[in-house]
Amino acid sequence: MTEVVMECRHLWKTYQSRLTAVKDVSMLINEGDIKLVFGPSGSGKSTFLRCMAMLTPPDKGDVFLREECLTKSGVDLNKARARIGFVFQHIWLFRHLTAQGNVELALRRVLKLPKEEARKRALEALREVKVEEMANRYPAQLSGGQQQRVGIARALVRNPDIILLDEPTSALDPELTGEVIDTLRDLAKMGTTMLIVSHEMPFAREIADEMIFFDEGTIVETGSPEQFFTNPQSERAQKFMMRLIKRTRRE
Amino acid sequence: MLEGVSTTLAISIFSLFLGLGVGLPLSFVRAYAKGYGFLVEGFEKVFRGIPEIVLMLIFYWGVGLYFPFPFKSAFFTVIFVLGMRSAANQSQIFRGAIRGIGEEQMVAARSLGFSKLRSAVHVMIPQVFIFATPGLGSEYALLIKDSSYAFIIGVLDIMFTTNVIRKATSDAVTPYLVAAFLYILLTFPIATWLDTWGSRRKKKLGF
Repeated sequence: MTEVVMECRHLWKTYQSRLTAVKDVSMLINEGDIKLVFGPSGSGKSTFLRCMAMLTPPDKGDVFLREECLTKSGVDLNKARARIGFVFQHIWLFRHLTAQGNVELALRRVLKLPKEEARKRALEALREVKVEEMANRYPAQLSGGQQQRVGIARALVRNPDIILLDEPTSALDPELTGEVIDTLRDLAKMGTTMLIVSHEMPFAREIADEMIFFDEGTIVETGSPEQFFTNPQSERAQKFMMRLIKRTRRE
Repeated sequence: MLEGVSTTLAISIFSLFLGLGVGLPLSFVRAYAKGYGFLVEGFEKVFRGIPEIVLMLIFYWGVGLYFPFPFKSAFFTVIFVLGMRSAANQSQIFRGAIRGIGEEQMVAARSLGFSKLRSAVHVMIPQVFIFATPGLGSEYALLIKDSSYAFIIGVLDIMFTTNVIRKATSDAVTPYLVAAFLYILLTFPIATWLDTWGSRRKKKLGF
């Protein structure tokens, strides 16, 4: 039987500006699943992802990691976050640390691994995302694509239960997105459980098990990539897919 | 004279570190514990608004009357007053650095499983220091200069020994010129080095 890695039930998040970013979202992610969330900008996708990682606490609803309810009071959220990998749109590497230092930090200071073992695992993770030779460089000395791959290594190195990726390629120049997508493709082959927010449609079609169309803070439609590419059900999804496919062709 | 130089240096360095020890936590309180921000603001207003010389006299003659320990020691009083004034300044320098580094570094650290406090220790503080090094250079220079008030309450610093020499030699110009030269020698190289080194490092790391 497939095991549920992460689940959210009836998640709500409203900002102080009274803007409701996430409205009654429920989702279930099984071991090895690759789910891709897409939708217009400002539709609440990033907030939803942050609520899942409890980086932004939801107002209502529950988030479960394995069987543990993270929204219950008294839960050690730091421990829970250590089991979730998060990759940010704007990467956010620690600028004072080298690539290796970035990947090593949580191993040393959160998981408390001995120095040598942390170093070994960090280098392994950097090798997996093919930036091992950049281990001693600072983020400012890396290209955007290399930075994002270090960001992925930083999320990956702790062997998290799931990796959440918030538009990992959208801040990069088009020629640099390819290398990050290759890395994600490798992760998919390894069976990594991922929840990705992305608009990279050819990539989505290739690796996603399920696509989720998000609009105005809520899930409008869920289906296989094939369904979205050939026969989206809702009018909003149809329009959005048309726009995305046109844009992808232009690029 | 040499004893005066070492006292001036000791006052400046001790108060710089006292300022650091108090100012750094205050900057984080102001940035992250907004409910207590008004206390930090009040502290900053008092120690930045009142002239150092007035504070030294108040603490040495006034507070020292009720708390002979530790304010009976002029040396301690000077370090305390300059240290607190420096804490008020450094709190502002570090707060600027925290703002410059940006909230996102904290979020990235939290996403790895760090608590707020440990994010501050392992991610924010190392960057705050890099960001603030040029500002700390200016703060050090300011402390060297302001330590020259210390002779008023009898600390044997450069100014005190200068006055002694002036009285003994009846030369009213040369001792002060020597003192001026010594102050430049103590401030300029270190402040410039901190500024250059800090700016270069900031540039290298993309701050």
